[in-house]
Amino acid sequence: MRKKVMARLVSVVLIMVLMMTMLTGCRFGFASDPDDPNAEEKKEPIDTSTDTFEYDASLNGTNITLLNTKAEIQVALEEMGVEYEKKSGVHVEVMPVSDDSPYTKMISLYNSGNPPTIAILDTTDVIALAEEKGVDMSEEKWVSEAEGYLTKINGKIYSFPLCIEGRGIIYNKTVIEKALGETFDPASITTLDEFQAFLDRLVENGIEKPVSMAKEDWSLGAHHLQYIYETYDGTSEGAQKVVEEIKAGTLDLNTYNRMSEFLDIFDVLKEYNVAKGDPLGADYDEMAIDLADGKTAFWFNGNWAWPNLVEAGAEETDEYGFLPYFMNNDKEDFANQMIQGAPSKQVMVDRQIATEKEQAAGRQFLNWIVFSEIGQQMLVKTCNIIPPFQNNPYEPSDPLSRDIYEKVHAQKAFSASVIVPNDHWAVLGAAMQKYLAGRSDRRELMESIQDYWDEQE
Amino acid sequence: MKSKNNGKDFCMFALPGMFCFFAVVIVPFIYGVYLTFTDWNGVATVKNFVGFKNFGGVVKDAQFWSSLLLTFKYVIFVVIIVNVLAFAIAYLLTRGMKGENFFRAGFFTPNLIGGIVLGYIWQFVFSRVFVSIGESTGWKLFEVSWLSDPTNAFIALVVVSVWQLSGYMILIYVAGFMGLSEDVMEAASIDGASGFVKLKSIIMPLMMSSITICLFLTLSRAFMVYDVNLSLTAGAPYGTTEMAAMHVYEKAFTSRQFGVGQSEALILFIIVACISGIQVYLTKRQEVEA
Repeated sequence: MRKKVMARLVSVVLIMVLMMTMLTGCRFGFASDPDDPNAEEKKEPIDTSTDTFEYDASLNGTNITLLNTKAEIQVALEEMGVEYEKKSGVHVEVMPVSDDSPYTKMISLYNSGNPPTIAILDTTDVIALAEEKGVDMSEEKWVSEAEGYLTKINGKIYSFPLCIEGRGIIYNKTVIEKALGETFDPASITTLDEFQAFLDRLVENGIEKPVSMAKEDWSLGAHHLQYIYETYDGTSEGAQKVVEEIKAGTLDLNTYNRMSEFLDIFDVLKEYNVAKGDPLGADYDEMAIDLADGKTAFWFNGNWAWPNLVEAGAEETDEYGFLPYFMNNDKEDFANQMIQGAPSKQVMVDRQIATEKEQAAGRQFLNWIVFSEIGQQMLVKTCNIIPPFQNNPYEPSDPLSRDIYEKVHAQKAFSASVIVPNDHWAVLGAAMQKYLAGRSDRRELMESIQDYWDEQE
Repeated sequence: MKSKNNGKDFCMFALPGMFCFFAVVIVPFIYGVYLTFTDWNGVATVKNFVGFKNFGGVVKDAQFWSSLLLTFKYVIFVVIIVNVLAFAIAYLLTRGMKGENFFRAGFFTPNLIGGIVLGYIWQFVFSRVFVSIGESTGWKLFEVSWLSDPTNAFIALVVVSVWQLSGYMILIYVAGFMGLSEDVMEAASIDGASGFVKLKSIIMPLMMSSITICLFLTLSRAFMVYDVNLSLTAGAPYGTTEMAAMHVYEKAFTSRQFGVGQSEALILFIIVACISGIQVYLTKRQEVEA
């Protein structure tokens, strides 16, 4: 009897196991994945007829690996690798990083003695790794084309800036115009007071809570909070100076203008937040849907949000753009006129394990991206990236990237990248969440920021 | 002659296993202990000996101690609820009721779903399903997402862990109950023991071996919780639900303080090893033969 029961139990359990493995193989439909590598939809054709790039014939037959930490361009990079191989004879294998952080992946690859020849990393990763492992690229040809977007470590350049990413307050022009019944000129808002008055008008005209704010720590801790460093004078040097002064204790956050100005606009956004009742319960995917559907008119985010908006139903012909992060009521203040557009994702070439030939092939690949007609096109059209290189004549196609591209070229963007410890977004993101939820006040938030910097060596 | 043969047998059967055990458990463990005394960052080619500096860093890391305290709280809730619930359900499921097998399989299913997937499913339940129930019914309890409030997020973690772990423990308890000798039960009934007395004086002592295993499994699993923690709350809101294991990972890889993270992992290991050891020793003493 017992045997029979056991046999039945085992068979039932086995069936359940089989069913579950089948189910877990399916994708769960409720959370769209912003990093879905399959998200690439239609592609613009690449013209490969002209190519004036000079290839080094001695590199023919070399194999290199490329670690990609920007999941949304995985397919595009593979295509680039194929084109590059056709022309140069160098085989590029693109390795994706899906679950790990780029740095964790690099650690495991280096420890297994099998690091990638080229790696796409974040700036903090490059700073941690480059001097010991990176090829010095200060003398590369592309350097002159990326002026203003270079990261120097002790005077040397170890990394190649892959793209420009910008952030600010995204608006949906159509929604605003529909609500107000008049044309909307984003340039007409120049100060925080004007922005707030504009929000009030939207509220009167039926958009009850016109702003979306992500609760994610990377958004709050990096994209919001870092304005206090970046808007010091709009340069990377200035931003670094603020950091050094806070660390040294010579800059008091309580009296630092940009700190209180930052909190002023943050409070305004908080007040008009669509998720005001439960700001920490806000859902990222829903924000994209709200903005596309017109429940909200603004979303604080960057051009990387475009795939989410597309999933929410936005199209490339729709009119989206960025407003600056209005810090005060001074019309002359650059922070009220410009949006932040800085290089993100740095490419490093390994010198520790890679052979001379592999290093040369990797460096040639980077120059190919900048100087060959095919590489230029593919960077913009296939990868959908805003190139930081002045010689690249192609324009991005989605409205958010296009807006940033236009602002960069019209001097309406400032590029201040601050270098902060890697856990800055996580630790201070938590402090910002607490402030967003109304569970801490300005003083406590500033104390957390000061404490964080005091702990750094 | 006999001892010689034993040596050969030992080499044949135990050595491969011993070798694997050494290679994947003992060696990395010793290496890990060694790393706590260096300033290695995970990738650098040189490792400098820094003495007890990393442990000094652990002492200063207030967040680690609060996450450890939270872990203790979590362990207490999870271990008690899981075992009481599993014991009770297993008891009911071995009394010959209809559809027993169906229920056993049903309760066991959550355990087959990986912690990460499970966490995401419940995240959806807590932050969307509950909220929309709250919206349509006006119940205060479900008005805002449970995951945005520190206390409720902690309760959510306990609920999900209990839901996941109970099934497995039910299975072990069911096996224990089925192993109880009918003769002993009958004898107890004839002697006049019934209900609670029978449970306390006959069933519990005979079930002690199952209890030992279940307590050990729930204790170690609850202490080392990471996957559910990561996918359900990821420490949110504002780092209040970050358990010890997750903090260790964050320390090592996000804050990039490898040595401090490794030292914290070692401390966590010692705590878990001591507590589980004491528990096994204590419950083993209670075990009896029928």
